[in-house]
Amino acid sequence: MVSTLVFIVTGLLIGAAFGYVLQRGRFCVNSAYREILFQDYTMLRAYLLAVAVTMIGANLIEDMGWLQQHANEDGVMVANELYRQGFAPFANIIGGFIFGMGIVLAGGCGSGILYRVGEGNLAYVLAVFGFFFGIAVTKFGFLKPVYDTLINYQVSVGEDMVPTLNNIIGVNKWLVIAVIAAPIFYFVYTGKPFQKAKKGYSWSMAGLLVGIIAVAAFWFSDYCTGRARGLSFTGPVREFFLAIFFGDAQAAEAETMKILGVSISWSALYVLAVPIGAFISGKFLKEVKLKVPPADELFKVLLGGFIMGVGAQIGGGCNIGHSLTGVSTLAVSSWVANLFIILGNWTMVYFMLIRPMRDMDI
Amino acid sequence: MSIKTATPDQTLDTLGRVCPYPLLLTKKALEKLASGQTLKVLCDAPASAEDSIPRYAEKNNMGFEAVKLEDKGYWELYIKKG
Repeated sequence: MVSTLVFIVTGLLIGAAFGYVLQRGRFCVNSAYREILFQDYTMLRAYLLAVAVTMIGANLIEDMGWLQQHANEDGVMVANELYRQGFAPFANIIGGFIFGMGIVLAGGCGSGILYRVGEGNLAYVLAVFGFFFGIAVTKFGFLKPVYDTLINYQVSVGEDMVPTLNNIIGVNKWLVIAVIAAPIFYFVYTGKPFQKAKKGYSWSMAGLLVGIIAVAAFWFSDYCTGRARGLSFTGPVREFFLAIFFGDAQAAEAETMKILGVSISWSALYVLAVPIGAFISGKFLKEVKLKVPPADELFKVLLGGFIMGVGAQIGGGCNIGHSLTGVSTLAVSSWVANLFIILGNWTMVYFMLIRPMRDMDI
Repeated sequence: MSIKTATPDQTLDTLGRVCPYPLLLTKKALEKLASGQTLKVLCDAPASAEDSIPRYAEKNNMGFEAVKLEDKGYWELYIKKG
């Protein structure tokens, strides 16, 4: 177990670095998916670059044995593995789709709504509240029966192995990574990466840095908690608010520390730091201003946050937990959820943005 | 002549609006303008002002200039329909 200081400082640093890079790079998975429909692939390239970097980096630290060791059931010390989420097809599909619709309404994804709090738009404070509200009613409240039913049906490989892209087809992990990463790098290359941006980071720099931070988060989460959970936002946002409301994040004991009498998880600390990092970046760029959208939009954003929370809790993650961290571990759950996040996103974009726009064209 | 020195044909206020409304409202306003006319957009969403709106203008061969009013915390964007 690391010291309390290391626990706090690394958690806050990872979060602040992430928020800083998101703000400066305008990194947004929601726009990456949405803009595919409008034939603009800039943000998609940034996102895919981040995925490729995370996938290679995270699996590298796993295979190099750089994660901590623990005793297995025979008492032999073995290196930790990356956390890979079990495959619950109904939950991943339905939850992913709901989450994908929610991010369009909320005007930002799981990480997007958090970092934009740091830019000063009050709408995103409401989106974050809505997000937690949705998570809480699904995990503990009136939607719990639905959640329990959907999550109950799990598919595994063999007796209890979590399905991954490589183990379901029975090939070496690195072969799958090469097949995924090679076209991504080619696609990124065709977008002419690493040209100097006028201000902030270029899309390619943003993608690269997001990937590096996601890899670092795997290592630090393992170092601080003994579990390579990596970067995610659904569970951590829940833990953050639970810690504040009840003094207990309700996370696994190894992942929490008692700080001033409050049991808080390492992940909840980076949730706190993301808006702070974005605020610092925004201050440097002189882009922080308190602002508020019209009332109907505020309401939509609150509702969007709530829908995101319901979807993310059912589906087992958001656009970071699944679409970046999860897909990088090659877990089937995350690939399926991510696909349905994209479909949910497109469905909502059609009804909220494309159709109304067309009707107004006359 | 610079686009921003001409008197804009229309001014669009998107202050406070969340992503992606600044871009959408801009697109909609531009559709109603005639070729050669200029739209001035007030925008305080960084990603829209510096990323999505300029990219949209560039892709559609529209003239684009931006002024960042750092003391006020928003941008004035000038788009000339091609």
